Amino acid sequence: MTVDPNAATQNFPGPEPVRHGPGPARYLVPALVAAAVAVALGAYGKVHDPAGTAFNLAGFSSTGAVKSWLATAAMLFALVQLVSAAMLYGRLPGPAWSGTLHRWSGRAAFLTAVPVAVHCLYALGYQTYETRVVWHSLLGCFFFGAFSAKMLLLRSERLPGWLLPIVGGLVLAVLTIIWLTSALWFFRTFGVTT
Amino acid sequence: MKRPGPLLTLLAGLVLGLFLLTLNATTGTRTASSSYEESPSPAPVRSTASEAAPSRSASPSPVPAADADYAGRTDDDAAAIAVSVQDGRAVAYYCDGRTEESWLKGDVEDDGTLRLTGEHGARLDGTLDDGRRVEGTVTVGGGRHAFSADRAKKPSGLWRATATVRSAKIDGGWIVLRDGTQVGILTRDGKASPAPRIDPSTGTVTVDGQQLTARPATP
Repeated sequence: MTVDPNAATQNFPGPEPVRHGPGPARYLVPALVAAAVAVALGAYGKVHDPAGTAFNLAGFSSTGAVKSWLATAAMLFALVQLVSAAMLYGRLPGPAWSGTLHRWSGRAAFLTAVPVAVHCLYALGYQTYETRVVWHSLLGCFFFGAFSAKMLLLRSERLPGWLLPIVGGLVLAVLTIIWLTSALWFFRTFGVTT
Repeated sequence: MKRPGPLLTLLAGLVLGLFLLTLNATTGTRTASSSYEESPSPAPVRSTASEAAPSRSASPSPVPAADADYAGRTDDDAAAIAVSVQDGRAVAYYCDGRTEESWLKGDVEDDGTLRLTGEHGARLDGTLDDGRRVEGTVTVGGGRHAFSADRAKKPSGLWRATATVRSAKIDGGWIVLRDGTQVGILTRDGKASPAPRIDPSTGTVTVDGQQLTARPATP
């Protein structure tokens, strides 16, 4: 069994390739998990009474500022994702460690996005009072679903070559819209403050 | 197993998320119960509410029986009225839910008499009946109304939020009645309009797309 030549390489290959039939489960499981994650987040945000407040970090004027800067950091890591993915696929000249760069910038982006999402869901919830907010709420839930799908798809072998770039690109596009509808809006409304 | 990396990433995110949620939930209950003194402002709002409504947790009262919120309606059902008494001082809010409102302040006499005054000649004369209700008359905008307000148990009572949203000065007042009915007015730069509902469990309210937190009003 061969490993997808396009996928990021892992240092320790699986000891024994498990023989999955090329069945639909490879796509169905990530898709179902993605849907479950997105719906669960949205339902929590809708059902849970927004607390209106949550802990703040020292040195920041408001939780909004903290979130905006964390989201901006996640966005920058996501741009590194785009560049390093292009290197992996040979569209850009890249160093040998571009795979490592891709993996770790992705983890960093995800882990900086999680606190932001937790604050959103805990303090504000799923809201629909404005177009900006509708899109932000909807795509915020969608993002974590799509990201879960991307992670699970990475574990499958012999995927069609176009699938990962499509899903990865979707995740990046969604994150961009989320950033535009929150952090950018915050900076434009309140100024670039810390 | 093949490629544990992506799964570990997801798990790490899940664990981090749950950890933060627990942190929020544990600190959250404390904020909700009483003191709002810790400085982090709620949501992305530069709220000035903390200055406007000082914490009600402080200072034990000499006459604890009378320290309470009272909420009710005028006898002609034209408006709602709420009185908050603490440490011999009282603040009252008269609100018809549309355009007319008044904040009144004053002292509570030892015999339970209230004489409160507000802007534009508003006044309230009432008596504190054994800490169970406030009865009297209120004169606002030239109209005189008799009222009776029963002792209110949280979350019913008197709420207020002041903030600046997109450079407009926001001042909101809400009376939450025992049956959950809310009567409130929101003033934007001096213009009054019916207020959006607050969440009585947390005081959260969304004004012009901004989330504010109303606090129990205190004298």
